[in-house]
Amino acid sequence: MAMQGIPYSEALRNYSVKTFREPAGEVQEPEQLLRSFHPDYYPGTTVTLRVGVNRGDACHHQLAEVLQADARIDEADLAGAAIRETDVLVIGGGGAGCAAALVAARAGARVILTTKLRLGDSNTVMAEGGIQASIEKDDTPQMHLDDTLRAGHYRSDRRLVARMVADGPDVIRWLIQQGMQFDLDKYGDILLRRAGGTSANRVAYYRDYTGLEMMRVLRESVTNSNIEVLDYSPAVELLSNEEGHCGGAVISSLKDYSYTLVKAKAVIVATGGIGRMHINGFPTSNHFGATGDGLVLAYRLGAGLRDLDSFQYHPSGLTWPQHLAGTLITEGVRSAGAYILNGQGERFVDELETRDLVSSAILRECAEGRGVEVGDDIRGVWLDTPGLELRNPGTLAARFPKLIQLGKRSGIDLYHQPLLIYPTLHYQNGGVVIDENGCSSVPRLYCVGEVSGGIHGKNRIMGNSLLEIISFGRRAGAHAAEKSHRRGHKKVSIEHVSNLRRELTLAEMPMEKQGPALFPECAKFENDSDYDGLRRNRKGRP
Amino acid sequence: MKPLNQVLLHPDNRVGVDFKRWQRHGGGQGLEVALLEEPESLIGMIRDAGLRGLGGSGFPTFRKWEFVAAERDTVEKYLICNGNEDEPGTFKDCILLEETPFQVIEGATIAALATGVSRVVFYINPDQEKSLDAMIRAVEEWESTDLYFAVSKKMKRPLSYLVKASAGHYIGGEETAAIESVEGKFPFPRGKPPFPARSGVHGYPTLINNIETLANVPHIICNGPTWFRELGLGEACGTKIYCLSGDVLYPGAYELPMGTPLVELIQTYGGGMLLGKGLKAVFTGGPSNTILTPQDLDVHLDFDSVQERRSSLGTGAMIVVSEGTGIVKRVTEYVDFFAASSCGQCPPCKTGTYYISMLLGKIDTGEGTQADLDSLVNLCRILPGAGRCHLLDGAVKVLESSLYHFMDEYRRSICN
Repeated sequence: MAMQGIPYSEALRNYSVKTFREPAGEVQEPEQLLRSFHPDYYPGTTVTLRVGVNRGDACHHQLAEVLQADARIDEADLAGAAIRETDVLVIGGGGAGCAAALVAARAGARVILTTKLRLGDSNTVMAEGGIQASIEKDDTPQMHLDDTLRAGHYRSDRRLVARMVADGPDVIRWLIQQGMQFDLDKYGDILLRRAGGTSANRVAYYRDYTGLEMMRVLRESVTNSNIEVLDYSPAVELLSNEEGHCGGAVISSLKDYSYTLVKAKAVIVATGGIGRMHINGFPTSNHFGATGDGLVLAYRLGAGLRDLDSFQYHPSGLTWPQHLAGTLITEGVRSAGAYILNGQGERFVDELETRDLVSSAILRECAEGRGVEVGDDIRGVWLDTPGLELRNPGTLAARFPKLIQLGKRSGIDLYHQPLLIYPTLHYQNGGVVIDENGCSSVPRLYCVGEVSGGIHGKNRIMGNSLLEIISFGRRAGAHAAEKSHRRGHKKVSIEHVSNLRRELTLAEMPMEKQGPALFPECAKFENDSDYDGLRRNRKGRP
Repeated sequence: MKPLNQVLLHPDNRVGVDFKRWQRHGGGQGLEVALLEEPESLIGMIRDAGLRGLGGSGFPTFRKWEFVAAERDTVEKYLICNGNEDEPGTFKDCILLEETPFQVIEGATIAALATGVSRVVFYINPDQEKSLDAMIRAVEEWESTDLYFAVSKKMKRPLSYLVKASAGHYIGGEETAAIESVEGKFPFPRGKPPFPARSGVHGYPTLINNIETLANVPHIICNGPTWFRELGLGEACGTKIYCLSGDVLYPGAYELPMGTPLVELIQTYGGGMLLGKGLKAVFTGGPSNTILTPQDLDVHLDFDSVQERRSSLGTGAMIVVSEGTGIVKRVTEYVDFFAASSCGQCPPCKTGTYYISMLLGKIDTGEGTQADLDSLVNLCRILPGAGRCHLLDGAVKVLESSLYHFMDEYRRSICN
C-alpha cells in the first residue's frame, strides 16, 4: 500500500514558496526504477497464453481474457446475412485506416472502409504532440532510428523501424499534399520540437492538436474519394478461406443489428489500441472505441502477436478534477520547458527522459509519500504551467490552445496554478507481428497502426505513432491494392472460429466471455432505446 | 491390431523424402515381388483384392488396368497419378504425397509394370506446394536407386517420370480434363468415348488412377489379396483415408478399415461434436454428393453401403455440420464453388450452375421468393446429365438433396 501523500493545500503552499527549482540529475539505475515502479512489472499482471499461436507467451491478464474468449457469432447468425464483395476491406476509421484506404483506392482498388463509430473517431485525433520526421538539416534518419531503438530498449524490429524513419520526410510531404497544416516559422519553415528521449528537434506539430488536424484532412480526402464508408459497423469476425488466408470480415451494423459478410481479396485491420480496457486499473487517454478488437480478430485467424505485456503510460494525464481523469496533456508542454514537481515543490526527474522512466518516477514519488493527495486515493504530481509561462511568456496561448481549453474545463487557472497529473494508459507497445508491408503472418491480412507491433519495442517516443500510421498505412494500402488482382476466394467462412472453440475445449478453458469487446465495460446501453441493436449485439443473439 | 492408420498412414511409412529410411521400414518390397511376377498375375492380384478407385468413383481398379494392358499395338502408354484434389473438405492425397512420396512412386511403378506403361505423370495441384516439392525431390532420388534400374531392365526401356503441376482448377481432376492438362491445354473435359484407356494423352492409351488407389498397390502385392480383403469390415476391402472436417473436436485424416460406421468415425476418432451440439448433416465425399442426416449415422462408410442410402462415398471427405448451421448458406457456398469452377464449354453447366447459384444467393440473403424456390426445384429436374462431365450433376445433387431434407429451412428463408 502506498504511503499517504502531501495534502493538496499544503503541496500548493510548498509549490509557491520555492522560487528556484534545482534540476534533477540523470536517472540512476533506470532498469531498477522500471522494475520497481512501472505498471508492466506489477506482480501478477501477466499470465501465460494457453491457446493460439502465441501459446506459452506472457500476456497481460486482461488482454489474455479477450484473446482467449469465445467468438461473438457462430454460423447460425450468418443465415440470411447480406453479402458484399470488394478488393480491399479496411477495418478502422482512424489515421492508419484512412491512409491505407486512400492509397489503395488511388491505386485502382475497390475499397470499403468500415468503422465501429464514425469516420475519425479514433486515437489519431487525440494525438497532440506531433509527428516525428527527420527533416532538419542537422538531423538524419539514422539518428531517428537510433533514438527509436534506444527508447524501445532495443526490443523493436529493426527492419520496420528503418522503413518507418526512411519514410518520415515523404510522409510529411504527403500530408502537406493532402492539405495538412503545420506550425511554421516566419520564413515558412516547419517548426520542430524535441521529444523526450531523443537527440534532435524532430517533431513537427500543429498547435497542440496535430492529430486532429491530420484527421481533418484525411477524413475530407476519404469523403471526397470513391471509398465506401460504413459507419457504426464494427467487424465482429474475420472470414477465412480454405487455406486459412484472410478473406474478408463479418460486419455488424449497430443501427439495425444485421450482419453483412464483406468478402475481400485483402483486409487491412487498423483498429487501434486497447486503452479502454483500463489495463491495471489506470485511467486512459484513449477514445471510447479503443477496446483491442483487431488484436482479438487477428489472433483468432492465426496471426502472431508480440510484446503483449508492454504498455505505455503517458506521464502527463490529468488526474484532478476527477471527471476529466486520464485526459492527455501533451508531452509538448514538457518539451517547451514545463517542469514536473512533487508535493514538496521539487523536480525529481529529467522531464525529457523517455516516457516509461518519467511515468515510473511519478509513480515512485506517489508511492513514497511525496505525491500530492487530493483524497479518495487520488494523487499526482504538479505540471508547472505557471513556471513555463514565467520563463517563456506567451508560449501557452500561442502553442497550447487545447491545454488552455482544458484548464477552463477543469476550473484551474493555468497561468497561476499548476495542474495535477498522473500517468495515464496511453499506448499498446506490442501487437500483431507484421513485415515491412504491414502483412501479418496470415496471408492477405494486413495490420497497421497501434494494432501492429514491433516498431516501438518496449516503449514508444512521442510523435512516432503518427508517423507509423501514415508510413505503414500507405505501405499496406499500396501492397494490398497491388495484390488485389489475385484470384478471389473459392469459399470463405468462419471456420477458424471452430478451431478456436476446439482449442478452448481441449485446454479446458471457460467460454462464458465473448470477444471482441467492441465497447468498454463502462458503456451502459441497457436502458437506452436508441441503442436497441447495440444492446442485442452485446448480449449476442436476440 | 488397432484399426487406425494400419497401412498407408502407418507411422513407419510417413518418412517424407528419405529413401533409405523408407526402405529400412520395408518400403520397396511390393515392387521387388512385382518384378518377379508376370503382368497378368499382378492384375489378378488387384482383382482378387477388390481394390476400387478411391478418388471418388469406386470403379474396380483391375478393370482399368486390364483395358490399358490389352492395348498392345502402341509405342507409348501413359499413367496419370491424379493428385489434383481441389474439392472442399478433401485433403488426403496431399498427405500421401508429402509424407509418403516413395509409397506413391512404388505403387505407380507397379501399375506401370502391370499395364506396360512407359510414361508416368504425377499430376498435382499447384496450390499444394509442399506436395509438389516433395514429389520432385523424391522422383529425383528414386531415379538413382537400384529398384528403378531393375524396373527399367525388366521393361527393357527406361521408365520415365514427370511431376506436373495441374491447372489448379477443380475441373482439372476429371479424367479427360487431366489428359488435356497434361497435354498442356486448358483442362476442358472431353467427350467419351473414346475412353482414356484407348486414346488419352496425345492419343496414346492412358491409365488414370487416384494417388490413394496407387498407394495401396504395393501393400496388396507384398501381403497378398486375402490380407487386403480382410482389412475391410464386412464385404468391403482394404482401408480408406477419411477426411473428417467441420464441427467435430478432432478433425483430420484417419485411415480406417473400409466400412467403418459413420458414428464411430465421428464419436471415436472425431472426439464427438464440438461444444456438444447436435448433428445436423454430413456432406459426404465433398460437396458434390447427397447429404447424410442423423438417421444415417449407422451407415457403414464403404462404396456400396453409402450408395444404399442414396448417397456416395466419394473421396471419403466427411464435412460434419452441427445444429445451428444454416444449410441454405452452406449449399449456396458449395454451388458458388461449382459455378466458379465450371469450365464453361457446356452451356447447360455454364448457365445452369450460375443460375442456381444466383437463385440460392437471393434466397440465402432473404430476398428470394416462392417463385425462385420453384425454379430451383425445376432446375433439379432438367439439368442433370446435360454436361460432358459430372460437375453439373454434382451441383444439382447437393442442391436436390438439401431441398429434400431441409425444405422447411428454404421456406423460412424466402420472403413472403
